[in-house]
Amino acid sequence: MAVTSAPRVEVAHAPPRSRGVGDRGFRYAMIAPAVVVILLIGLFPLVYTLIVSAQNITMMEEDTSFHGLMHYRALLADTRFWQAVLHTLLFLVIALPAQLVLGLLLALLFLERMPGKQVFVALLVLPVVTSPIIAGALWRLLFDNRFGPINQILSWLVGGEVTILWTVNPGFVYPAILIAEIWQWTPFMFLLLLAALASVDQSLTEAAKLDGAGFWTTFFRVTLPIIKPVVWIALLIRGLDLFRLFDVVWGLTQGGPGTMTETVSIYAYVLAFKQFETSYAAALAVVIIVLLSAAVMWALRRVEIAR
Amino acid sequence: MLLRRRDFHALAMGASATALLSRRALAASAAATAVEAAKQYSGEEITIVWEAGLQSLDPLNFSGPKWKEATGISVKVIEVATAEMFTKILQEHRAGSGAYDALNVIPAWMPDLVRAGALEPLDPFVDKYGYREELQEIAPVYRDNQMTVGGTIYGFPDDGDVFVLYYRTDVLGDPAIQAAFKAAKGYDLPVPPTTWEQFYDVASVITETTGGKPFGAGQFREAPYMQFMFQERFRNEGGRFFDPQTMKATVNGPAGLKTFQGWLAENKVMPKGVETWGFVENLAAFLQGDTAMTVSWPPYGRWAAGYGTDEAALAWVPRSQIAGKVGYAMPPGGHPQLAAGFSLCVSSSSKKKEAAYLFIQWLNSQEVSLQRVQLPFALRDPFRDSHFASEEYRNRWPEAPQYLAALQAGAVNGLLDLSLIQTDRYEEALRQGISKLWAGGDPQGILDEIAAQWDSITERIGVDKQRAAYEEWASKPNAYPA
Repeated sequence: MAVTSAPRVEVAHAPPRSRGVGDRGFRYAMIAPAVVVILLIGLFPLVYTLIVSAQNITMMEEDTSFHGLMHYRALLADTRFWQAVLHTLLFLVIALPAQLVLGLLLALLFLERMPGKQVFVALLVLPVVTSPIIAGALWRLLFDNRFGPINQILSWLVGGEVTILWTVNPGFVYPAILIAEIWQWTPFMFLLLLAALASVDQSLTEAAKLDGAGFWTTFFRVTLPIIKPVVWIALLIRGLDLFRLFDVVWGLTQGGPGTMTETVSIYAYVLAFKQFETSYAAALAVVIIVLLSAAVMWALRRVEIAR
Repeated sequence: MLLRRRDFHALAMGASATALLSRRALAASAAATAVEAAKQYSGEEITIVWEAGLQSLDPLNFSGPKWKEATGISVKVIEVATAEMFTKILQEHRAGSGAYDALNVIPAWMPDLVRAGALEPLDPFVDKYGYREELQEIAPVYRDNQMTVGGTIYGFPDDGDVFVLYYRTDVLGDPAIQAAFKAAKGYDLPVPPTTWEQFYDVASVITETTGGKPFGAGQFREAPYMQFMFQERFRNEGGRFFDPQTMKATVNGPAGLKTFQGWLAENKVMPKGVETWGFVENLAAFLQGDTAMTVSWPPYGRWAAGYGTDEAALAWVPRSQIAGKVGYAMPPGGHPQLAAGFSLCVSSSSKKKEAAYLFIQWLNSQEVSLQRVQLPFALRDPFRDSHFASEEYRNRWPEAPQYLAALQAGAVNGLLDLSLIQTDRYEEALRQGISKLWAGGDPQGILDEIAAQWDSITERIGVDKQRAAYEEWASKPNAYPA
């Protein structure tokens, strides 16, 4: 039996195995163009940036000889770069929690049935669909001392002339940028969190209430753990966006006064496209990519959403 | 006299007729030569980079259509914001796409663009098409300083940008204000003020006397504009940018400090929030009669007189409340900044260099440029001796002769923009410093920071290379006051 059955099994399985190899090959052939495109789009610029960062290309010189880590060493000693990192982190640590809390509160508010809910939601989403550079220009007009309404409204409220130079006075430039940034991106948080809250099984929250839990206890002990993965994803997306913060700041202050509000993205833009320090800007880009990749991997592992 | 739509059409027809007059009559004209030669390229299209906004209305609405009518060559205008023009031109050159044929270039950038190989030498074309004689009729300050790099022609000066002092003749001539001034300052009110100390005195007395209706002066204060103002005032106060031996920056000396302190003092007698004013805010304040003096580019003078402001393109310009009440003079110090300006160039990566050249020769020629500098919306300012002397222009509004005289004086006494290797990096340090000044920083500390940044930039570029560039620039007659 064993002698006779063995070949039969082999015969029986041979065709599927060869089909499997063929299928696999076919599958690889089908995805190969997409993989090549992705590599070209994603990997090639990265490798090219890495190569350029080891050269010395400036506005006047196309020196493509190998210069090793020259620009990386210069970057470590570049106080303007570290200040830009600091400014970026400052925006991040203030704007991110503010957007989360405000977005969550709005989502909780809009979770309940209310008349005209869809209209309000549509209005709330408007800032998100506005181009950030337009939002920056818009807020610059709103904050303008001569033509803008904000100082005018404040003057009415305090009953005297208010002249706040929002884009000049060091005490007001950060609040001005943060107001614009939070105005624009809180609705994004709101939408994600509203969707997450709407998907929470109501029987769980009702059971908690029946057991005597109050609103906040139910929220923190039942609802929040359920929507936690969405919250982390929202924080990750917005955190990465805030690290790339450019448009609103450019529209409002162009990084000024001096370099007081200059972010990493603005500094990279100035280096690459104003000063044409191509290789130095490439080194900066590589450092930022490494830092951000490390941060993202840490965050994904921490919250276990990579699985 | 206001320029109305029918006047505009007359202008357009005039330029067209000039270009299309009999061959015999125009045998020696650079415009006619360009038109005749360009006909071989009929049916082609050339591109030209032009400053976005009002400036571009010249090739879009006037010169582009006229050129097509005369030669059959279409002109595609690529509008680029001023702040991005240098970047775009250099990027295109690096890419070698040939996307740009002709260029508008701020003269201070020309050395950088020439070193990068982005501009085509024009001497062979100039000789071939007999343009050298007409080039000599461009006002000397522009011709001698904004046309060549290292003795080779790379661009045609095409815009007589210069700062002018505008002042309200009715306010400064008011006997009550003059009496108050004499009582407060102990000397007669100077009309116009010729030093910055006098400017401050006049502005402060007007503001005090009128209670700010109008304020004695207003000024754009945004850093991109103010870096030009710094360059002007710093040199009028006796400042030099560098030690020519060591190439160490000397902007932090007494002249720099006097400039910064003067600005801070003046802000106190100007409207609140003046630190945020740009070109438009300052223009609006002056045209609405809110300020009695200001320094700015030439279009202010035309619009203050109401010239052409009924054109749709100028609908955003506030209607002038001060027409007939404006005087024109050199800014205090007597040596105004030839701030920015434009030269017409040909891109070295163009595949239609000859056609592009012929277009810019035609634009820049005596006949066509005279029509273009009278377009009220296009921001091109007189730059040829014949423009200043033009009877047609002098009759545009009652005070036009004084206006043209002020521009002509500027073309004699004007100071060149600093032009080195990577000038914009030095200007950026200035811009940042000025914005810190408005934010309440210590003037001397800021100037020391600027000087340190300039030294660092010079070292990065190479002291010897930059010294050579500075020596070439500083040797020009209008680099520093004589």
